[in-house]
Amino acid sequence: MASTVIGAGITIDGEVTSDEDVVVQGTVRGKLTARDGVTVEHGAVVEADVNGGPLSVAGSITGNITSTDRVDLQPGARVIGNVKATRITIADGAQFKGNVDMDV
Amino acid sequence: MTSGPSCTNKRLVIMAQTRSARGGSSGGNGAGEARIGAGARVRGRIAGDGALTVEGRVEGDIALRGELTVAEGGEVRADTIEVETLVVSGTVDGELRVSGVVHATAGSRVRGNVTGGGTLALDDGAQFAGRIDAEFDLPAELMGSSGGTSGGRRGDRR
Repeated sequence: MASTVIGAGITIDGEVTSDEDVVVQGTVRGKLTARDGVTVEHGAVVEADVNGGPLSVAGSITGNITSTDRVDLQPGARVIGNVKATRITIADGAQFKGNVDMDV
Repeated sequence: MTSGPSCTNKRLVIMAQTRSARGGSSGGNGAGEARIGAGARVRGRIAGDGALTVEGRVEGDIALRGELTVAEGGEVRADTIEVETLVVSGTVDGELRVSGVVHATAGSRVRGNVTGGGTLALDDGAQFAGRIDAEFDLPAELMGSSGGTSGGRRGDRR
């Protein structure tokens, strides 16, 4: 059970910061920062720069992604923005437009 | 202005009403649960449908068709909080536009005016500072000679 859940009916305009993991099912516009994992579920809309640990995306992100760990774009994910992470997977069926920086 | 149940900047302790804040949540349950965890902080506006629990900190307005719960240790600072039901066990600062019940439990701190036509329940040990706009029926014995036989007339106090 995640410590912070932005539910499907919820919209946040602003800045979300968390020391723990964050699950987005609704909409976040602005900035999303987590010290732990971030999960953007199917149907979620994130129009924000995302900083965090391991990031799993099945919804939509418009913004730059920076992860201290891995980024997994699941089938159905839609990401427009640059991704900076140590590891990244893009599943068949994920849409992605942007640059990948794996810090090599 | 000064008559009526106004209690600005005073510590007010009233026993809770029998009316329960729980179970009165109208709708919104289908939208799923939302939670701002203890380690999380939101600066900005939160809007939408469904229940929201705040265990961390929120700095910004909240407009919710559903129940807002501010858990123990949770803190909300806003200009306006517009929800159907509000249950506070933590700290809330802002104008409360609540159509249903505002329930301040023991140990909670609430600062702000309560408007929106809802009802307020303060538990023993809750701290409250603000104005309450409430409509209620005056008991017959307080109606004076003008009241007559009816069980009390609608009193609109401000």
